[in-house]
Amino acid sequence: MTEIKDAQRLEELRRKHGRLAPDLSAAAEPSPNDDVRSRQPRFCGLESGHRACQGCGEALGARLVSETAGPDVMLSNATGCLEVFTTPYPQSAWRVPFVHSLFENAAAVASGMEAALKAKGKRTKVIAQGGDGGTYDIGFQALSGMLERYHNVLYVCYDNEAYMNTGIQRSGSTPHAASTTTSPAGQERMGKRHLKKDLLSIIAAHHVPYAASASVAFPVDVRRKVRRAMDVEGPTFLAIHSPCPLGWGHDGALTIQIARLAVECGLYPMVEFERGEVVSVMPIRDPKPVTEYLKVQNRYRHLFNDKDPRAREEREHLQALADFNIARYNLKGVGEDVMDTDGLDTVRRGGPVQVM
Amino acid sequence: MLEALEGSMAIAKAVTRCRPEVVAAYPITPQTHIVENISKLVADGQLKTELVSVESEFSAASVVLGAAAAGARAYTASSSQGILLMAEVLFNISGMRIPMVLTCANRAIGAPINIWNDQSDSMAVRDSGWIQIYCADNQEAVDSTIQAYRITERTELPVMVCMDGFVLTHTYEPVDIPDQDLVDSYLPPFEFKRALDPMNPKSLGTMVGPDFFPEIRHSHHQAMVRSMSEIEAADADWQNLTGRQCGGLLSVDGPEDADLGILCIGSAINTLHAAREEHPELRPAKLIKLRCYRPFPAAALCEACRGLKDLVVVERAFSPGLGGIIGTEVRAALAAGDGPMPRIVNYTIGLGGRDIPIELYPQLIESLDSAHDGAFKIFDVELEKLAEEDR
Amino acid sequence: MSSVLTRSGYADPATSLNFKTGSWRTLRPVHKHATAPCHGACPAGEDQQAWLAKIQENDVRAAWETLVNINPMPAITGRVCPHPCETACNRGQLDQPIAIHNLERWLGDEAIANDWPYPNVPAIDSTRPKVAVIGAGPGGLSAAYHLTRRGYRVTILEALTEAGGLLKSAIPMTRLPRDVLDAEISRVLEVGIDLQLRQRLGRDFQIDELGDEYAAVFLGIGCQKSREWSVGGAVPADLHEGLHLLKGWVDHLSMPEAERVVVHGGGNTAVDLCRIMKRKGAAEVTLITASGLPGPDTEPDDVLNVVPRELDEALEEGVVIIPHATIQRLIMRGSRVVGVEMVSLKKLPGKSGRKERIAFEGTERVVATDMVVPCIGEVVDPEGVADLLHGGSYLRARDPFGHLEDHPNVFVGGDARGDRGTVSAAIGDGRLAAAAIDSYLSDTPLPDLTPRPPIPYAGLNLHYYEKKARVPVPKVPPERRTDDLEIEGAVAGAAAIAEAHRCFSCGNCLACDNCWTLCPDNAVIKTAQLASDGSHYLFDYDFCKGCGICATECPCGYIEMIAEP
Repeated sequence: MTEIKDAQRLEELRRKHGRLAPDLSAAAEPSPNDDVRSRQPRFCGLESGHRACQGCGEALGARLVSETAGPDVMLSNATGCLEVFTTPYPQSAWRVPFVHSLFENAAAVASGMEAALKAKGKRTKVIAQGGDGGTYDIGFQALSGMLERYHNVLYVCYDNEAYMNTGIQRSGSTPHAASTTTSPAGQERMGKRHLKKDLLSIIAAHHVPYAASASVAFPVDVRRKVRRAMDVEGPTFLAIHSPCPLGWGHDGALTIQIARLAVECGLYPMVEFERGEVVSVMPIRDPKPVTEYLKVQNRYRHLFNDKDPRAREEREHLQALADFNIARYNLKGVGEDVMDTDGLDTVRRGGPVQVM
Repeated sequence: MLEALEGSMAIAKAVTRCRPEVVAAYPITPQTHIVENISKLVADGQLKTELVSVESEFSAASVVLGAAAAGARAYTASSSQGILLMAEVLFNISGMRIPMVLTCANRAIGAPINIWNDQSDSMAVRDSGWIQIYCADNQEAVDSTIQAYRITERTELPVMVCMDGFVLTHTYEPVDIPDQDLVDSYLPPFEFKRALDPMNPKSLGTMVGPDFFPEIRHSHHQAMVRSMSEIEAADADWQNLTGRQCGGLLSVDGPEDADLGILCIGSAINTLHAAREEHPELRPAKLIKLRCYRPFPAAALCEACRGLKDLVVVERAFSPGLGGIIGTEVRAALAAGDGPMPRIVNYTIGLGGRDIPIELYPQLIESLDSAHDGAFKIFDVELEKLAEEDR
Repeated sequence: MSSVLTRSGYADPATSLNFKTGSWRTLRPVHKHATAPCHGACPAGEDQQAWLAKIQENDVRAAWETLVNINPMPAITGRVCPHPCETACNRGQLDQPIAIHNLERWLGDEAIANDWPYPNVPAIDSTRPKVAVIGAGPGGLSAAYHLTRRGYRVTILEALTEAGGLLKSAIPMTRLPRDVLDAEISRVLEVGIDLQLRQRLGRDFQIDELGDEYAAVFLGIGCQKSREWSVGGAVPADLHEGLHLLKGWVDHLSMPEAERVVVHGGGNTAVDLCRIMKRKGAAEVTLITASGLPGPDTEPDDVLNVVPRELDEALEEGVVIIPHATIQRLIMRGSRVVGVEMVSLKKLPGKSGRKERIAFEGTERVVATDMVVPCIGEVVDPEGVADLLHGGSYLRARDPFGHLEDHPNVFVGGDARGDRGTVSAAIGDGRLAAAAIDSYLSDTPLPDLTPRPPIPYAGLNLHYYEKKARVPVPKVPPERRTDDLEIEGAVAGAAAIAEAHRCFSCGNCLACDNCWTLCPDNAVIKTAQLASDGSHYLFDYDFCKGCGICATECPCGYIEMIAEP
């Protein structure tokens, strides 16, 4: 009975939304693409016209999440780029209900929204979103509380490994040796001295039903993980590695390529936890040396100064960290796998899957 | 029907009558009994609500923000450090014009840590854009809590109901908890027009730049000013239903021709009442109970002070380096009024839970003999306890 | 900002669509349909990618129809073409090239087996002009086929007693079985071509006489005369010329016997001959060629011009090939040859910049032999075309369409041009000449032959492709090879379809959705109807910020970032 009601509701939502801009000002010019835009075979939870930089990984991640999650959701968004670039008053790029409160309380606000929905007997899913600053650092306590209280909320962290909105300051998520404006490289320092916080393991230690890492380089995998998390009645967590062309210092056109290299070299392992246990990893078909990943980003430029012996040392350190991840999660694939780093986004011109 | 209830239990029951859909609970003395009692009512099935036992006051405020944004009637309570930890969220809630009610069980702020009553906590967030109502006794706290929901839901301004910690929260008094039917007739179900809704997906909490920010603040201020009539109407309607009223924005008690006024907020007003009765020999005084501190009822205050020669402002908080907070505001309000200015003397009394005994009253009156206009001091300070250089 | 402030500044959904971020763009993505290497390399002008795509859709007949819109004889070219398409195939740089020739052959065979009619053939209209095609070789057949499909009435005048030209007279059955050849040629003729046999140009008719009946003439006469061969003026008395020997073999299985044979030259005729001699019992068969063998050190224009697999088979069968060498002296005993002196050489750029053959002193060596067979090529037989040759060896056309100077209604194609050399090139010439004749007769412009830009391997995003080995092809092992058993077997059905799925789709939309999926700005619109360029997508320039992710992540190199105008 509930299921039928849900289906009707979804249908009603789709009909209700259409996909066109509610033209508030009479002056707004109709776009020649409006019609076909309204008929795209996917739900546009995050619309065009947002102010993200060119090649923004977070914008892509959020688009993938919202289109997968569908219209029957409510978003609680932490302060950060995503909030700023999607909701510059008087406009919003969202087609789903959205509230931004503060930097550190997205999880708590989401908890309240979920409690309200529970009180009202509604099944709308609440999604909390934040960057790594709002998740690893300042919002960590609220997130931990939300997980512990077992709210039916999906928390998505768009991990771009620094405070980008304020101008690229180091966060708990910033990788070792990366240069940021508060961990600059110089005579005495080789970028960030500390390690990247292993947040996913900490989340998993909350014994939550589902916690996973994902990457914008693998949209099929992102969608699958969002669907998996949406299906769970309880707290779930998704960290989506999202390159920031500005903060990492790379051409926006390379966003996907760089995100993919992060996974392929082992520095950003794709792992799924259920109840604290690793249940699945994305195998790496051909692990790449970390230098392939590092050398295309300005935040690691100081690691390629041939005159500085520390540069080599830090490169080796990062390689060792990648190797550690590969060993720890057993990431090295055995043969060709449709779910590995090459099989997942193949266009099926070769590989193990036969298309007939 | 009157029953003897601890103040915290009375509040818990009053909240129950308001049918909150979400309650966020976090312990802090002296507010703890309120959430404990609510939790017990929930456990006993007497209160159907989503009780969210959060990990901090910051999250408590955030949870009720989220809940109310999602269209739920929400409640939380806190004190002291908890209110300060909430501060960022409190500004956020009001800035977003989200209706909700919070009970502040007033307590001093550390350091040094002190769990006893004064009003430094709610005073610290007086500019947060919340309506602040101060309660003189537990019945007022019950009635004000119920009224607060009506006010907040009509004005879309959050309401902080302030009651003195321990003095009210931990004191048993005979209290009437109104019937559910009566409250239901007074307080219609919550319909939040801007609620998050997939069928009408608005975006709340947008980034507003210089081109609209002053207008946002202006409209907030206007809403606060206009809410005074709602606050008065809520009390008047309540009186029609129950025969009780809490004193609207402020209330004056005392001989019509008295030219001395004593103004205070919170439960101390009742001590002053008792003291005045105890000391009929002293100079007749009007007692002015300032119930609504935000919005600040300047016009009503001018009216109440008309004809006064002397006005003593007694408060339980102060601004170091300035002096009294309420006193300063009262002076400003009267200066802007059209009547002659009384001499205004400003005392902070009872910080950190120091008792305000009836015996203080004669000293208060006597102090006027020597006090100059604008004098301020911590009235009950015992200087001999201080090293010479700290006096 | 004229709108009225909402309470606390909430915003309505998707109102950002009123903010056109397209104005931020400095580069814009555009679709660029590049020329896939296979297409670029095909002498017949096939777009292999197009028909591979139809095979991928499991529509074998549509694949064949797509193919025969360009080349009417896939069963033949699938067997005889040296398939430069496969040499060029970008996939070869990842693993191995697509087995294009095997798939082409399969389509041809399927069409014969199922008797699929050729598409787009109009009914014969007796009011349309007539065109004469001289020679029923691959070029003539192709020209006749394409002219017929363009509505012209075509007569082929063929000197011999059957159609086919060199296909029939000089290609061994081990490579091209007769039943396949006959079936495909007769099916081509059945589109409505009038074939008149035993009509030799110069003997039975003259080009000038055709003007009364025919509005235009296509010359597909080939090269019927062997190039004169001698070494320092010496010519053995019993000289056998290569093509002549091969024709004799193909016609009546005759071949002179010899213990040790030296074949001089290059090309398929030379290799075919070597293999036949070897099979007929010669102990040693040596091919001396100035060209190089395929390999990384050999420049593309220096590779022995022979079907690659034929070369492999010849080596398998024991033929010795001496590349980069030539015969410098014949060692004679009386008028008989008993040995040859070779010298190593290479084609190197000379003073003029053109490549010249440079012999390397000190590399001379002697090979004993009983017979030397020159296979150095053929020239146009001047009979009937002497006026057009202008004293040269070939009918030099001035453009790919086969236009001849001073003869606006006479066109040439195939080997007779002197700048061709494969069946496929002749077929391509026939098609282009048909277009040129149509343009001449209908007074319409010639088609634009400007190629689309190429797409190199580096222009693809290889991440999206995975390795997969080329389909294995059955072959008769050397010890079981006979005079008429076809050596290479068929690739068909599921294996063929799977092989087609290996195609990268270089420079053309795969409809993989990458651009649509990866655009952070939702600025790629998916629509099969409105994407007039054959892709499935439109760029929404209202919102596209020009980040270039779509271009980077397009597997096929189909999206290009160009400066914003």
